[in-house]
Order: sequence, then structure tokens, then C-alpha cells
Amino acid sequence: MIRTEEMLLNVGPQHPSTHGVLRLLVKVDGERIVETEPVIGYLHRGTEKLAEDLTYTQIIPYTDRMDYLSAMTNNYAVVHATEKLMGLEIPERAEFLRVIVMELNRVASHLVWMGTYLLDIGAMSPFLYAFRDREQILDLFNELCGARLTYNYMRVGGVKWDAPKDWIGKVDHFVSYMQKQMKEYHQLVTGNEIFIQRTKGIGVYDQETAINFALSGANLRVTGLNWDLRKDAPYSIYEQFTFDVPVGEVGDLYQKYLCRMKEIDESLKIVAQAVANFPSEGKIMGKVPRVLRVPEGEVYVGIESPRGELGCHIVSKGKDKPWRIKFRRPSFYNLQILPTLLKDENLSNLVAILGGIDIVLGEVDG
Amino acid sequence: MLGLIKGLNVTLKNMVKPKVTYNYPQEPLEMPDRFRGIQYFDPDKCIVCNQCVRVCPTDCISLTGKKNPDPNQKGKVIETYNINFEICILCDLCTEVCPTEAVVMTNNFELSTYSRDELFKNSEWLFANDENIRSENTLNPIPVKKPTGGTPS
Repeated sequence: MIRTEEMLLNVGPQHPSTHGVLRLLVKVDGERIVETEPVIGYLHRGTEKLAEDLTYTQIIPYTDRMDYLSAMTNNYAVVHATEKLMGLEIPERAEFLRVIVMELNRVASHLVWMGTYLLDIGAMSPFLYAFRDREQILDLFNELCGARLTYNYMRVGGVKWDAPKDWIGKVDHFVSYMQKQMKEYHQLVTGNEIFIQRTKGIGVYDQETAINFALSGANLRVTGLNWDLRKDAPYSIYEQFTFDVPVGEVGDLYQKYLCRMKEIDESLKIVAQAVANFPSEGKIMGKVPRVLRVPEGEVYVGIESPRGELGCHIVSKGKDKPWRIKFRRPSFYNLQILPTLLKDENLSNLVAILGGIDIVLGEVDG
Repeated sequence: MLGLIKGLNVTLKNMVKPKVTYNYPQEPLEMPDRFRGIQYFDPDKCIVCNQCVRVCPTDCISLTGKKNPDPNQKGKVIETYNINFEICILCDLCTEVCPTEAVVMTNNFELSTYSRDELFKNSEWLFANDENIRSENTLNPIPVKKPTGGTPS
């Protein structure tokens, strides 16, 4: 008689495919996964609690460090929530700069995902191509705000820096370069038979499950639901731009990849439009008092970060510091579906499914 | 099989393209002007307004001032000025609020040391860090009468 025995397998926290410090306690029966339990908190810094003791401007550099792959959208979440509570008006030029940097950041973030995801499932070279192109975006950001990852660029009422000379031209040049590069990526990856075998029909879930798990971003859209906060709850000046929201049908890993690649295309479209209509002059800061005292009240804003709905909930008691601030961090919510997806899967699909969710541990742990 | 060959085609095409990597640290890496590197501090410009200490999100700046030794001059002059680079996140807020541009960012970023104590920098060290100083600095500069005498050109 052949008898099998369950085994406990510990994955991480120091494991390259966990994209940070995530630990997975996996119970396996042979190669079949019986149960998975994610253990989080290795990167917990207590941003929300720290923020209660910081002024609104001081919180901005802390948000850089939550989702460090798209710090611009994090900056925007807290700044936008504060502005909404204060009822500030933002100059047009600042809004254009914000949209340009947020969309470029989305492209950079998706490039990291694409590169590392393929690295996870065994393809080395796409990673190098993705990082080569991402480097150009980081160089643009470095020139604009003086940092490559922790931008600290947005301020309540506007942005810190105006675009340097020729910067907009460089962005325009990058957009056309990147649109050309996208063809190369499709040639390199999309038709690859090994990649298709590793991803097609793997990690499938339906729309109802996605909604019940409160998924957002590409993880939700891959099931066919057209839900993008830039369209459905427009903020900033997104209403001015024409772009599509890519959706999938089946909800497997291959379509997630396609969805994210199409999102890069759409982001580039938005940047191209923003560059074409960029106001030639104007202020970059609205009328803001030197000491920000936010009126008493509560506000919640949700914005579309590369990973999903990034929410910021501020409760103010009229002081210069928030009484309570809460971030709805999309990676944290998206990660919750992992044990369900991994049940009865083959162990070799573990990193493929985990990578497909696109988590950033700085954001999961907060 | 076709997809694999297509992909290989891209790899082959890129093989003959020039390299995109930098030869750092053999060659120094040039940063753009706005780069937020280690601060430069000019004690003569400082008016001991304490704004940088108050705005610092990580409380890494500490300073003390004393009465101006010149009896004809009002106000204070700086006595000690320290930045703890163990916790400084180079967020640029101190240079943003400084009304006299006494503390400004430079393009220097090489901070690694063998001991944590060495990361505690005093005003002499910060004053000596005078290379590659950023030209564009304060967000809203307020014209403040500079203390006369001793301002290095």
C-alpha cells in the first residue's frame, strides 16, 4: 500500500519570489498544496500610528515607503485626501504634472512586475529589458524631484518642483520610445510557449470571488469587471483624457499579464495626451497657508494605484496633525485570496500564482 | 516553438546594441542638479530659527544657538548643528523651510561607513561637504537680512 504523508514547508521570509519579506506556511501532500497560511508583518513600521504624530507635510515622505514601487500614487492619496478636506483648489499645471508622474510611475511599477514575474517563473532576460526601460523613468523622476524611488514630490496644494527645462520634451520622447519597446516585449514574452504553459488556465477565479475578496486593480479587472477609479470615480483631471480600461475574460494568470501590459499602453496614452496639452505656464502651488490646519471632519478618497484601490481615510480634529489616518492598501486586500487560490494546486504553481497578485510587502505590512 | 524563436530574435538583436550599464564605482555617477544628497550646512547663514528641526519627520536634526557675540548685532548665532544620518531619510523638507538657505542639499550620496557612530555628523563636517551644492533650493524663499561679515564668497 502506498501511503502519503503531509509535510509542512516553510517558504520565505527571505525568498526572492516573495517580493519582500512574506512568509508562507505551506502544508503539502506530495506536490499538492493542502493549505497555505501567509505570515505577514515583517516589514510593519506602523505608518498609520506614526502619522498621528506628524504634520500633513511630514506624512508625505512616509507614504513613499509604503508602496515603494509607485510612491507617486501614494503621495497623491494622502495629499488628495487633505486637499479634499480643506477644499483647496489646485492649479492646472500642478494637476498635469501630477498626472504625468503618476502614469509614468504606473508604467515603471508594471515593468517591475513584468520583469520579476517572469524571473519567478524562470525567464531571466525579460527582467533585464524591463529594468533597462524602467531606469529611464527613474532618471526622469530623478531629474524632476531628486530621488529615484522615494520621491516626496507632491505637496498639499500642488507639487514641489516645476518641470525642469526640456523635461516635458524628454517625457514625450520616452513615450514614443516606450510604445516602440512594447512591441519588443510582446515579441519576447507574449507568444512564448513555455510562458503560456506556465500561466494559461492557472490560478483562475471568477468575478464573484474577486468581489467577495475585495480585490481591486488588475486582479479584479482580469475577471471581466470594468472597474477603474480613474473612470468610475474620477479624481484629479482624468476626465480630460481618453483611455480604455483593459479587462480580461477568464481570470487566469496569462490574462493578468495581458491586462497589465495593456495598462502600460493606456498609461502611455494618457501621458502623451497630458504632454500635448501641458499648460505652457502657470503656478505649481495653490494658495496654501504656511501651517496647514485641516478643518474638523472626515474624508475618504480612493485612487487607482498600479495595484488597485488605494484609499486614504483621514479623521481631523482641526489640528495641524491628523487625529487618525487609515490607508486602504491594495496589496494587503489582494493578498487575502492567496490561500484560496493555492488550495489543491501543484507546488510548482505557488510562485506563479503569488507573483501574479503583484504584492509589495511594504504596502501589505504598512 | 515559433514564439521561442521570435523571442530569441529579440535577444540576438540586443546583443549588438551598446551597453546600458554604468561602470560605478570605478567611474563616479553624475546626478542631476535637484538630486537630494547629503546636506551642506553654512553656519554663517543660519539664523537659528529652528524651522528645520521642527519640520524634520524623523527628528534627526539637533541644534543649539547662542547670543550673538557682537553686541551691535541682534539675534542668535549657531553653536552646534548635528544631523544623524542613521535616521535621516533625505526627504528635503529641511532645505524647503530654511529661509536663508543655510542648509541645502548636495549631489553627494556616498554615506556608507564601518560604524554607526560615524553617521552622526556635526556642523564642521557638514560645512566641509561643499561640493556639488544644489543651485535650486528653497520653495518659498523669504528675504531675510543676512548677518553681516564672515559670509564666504
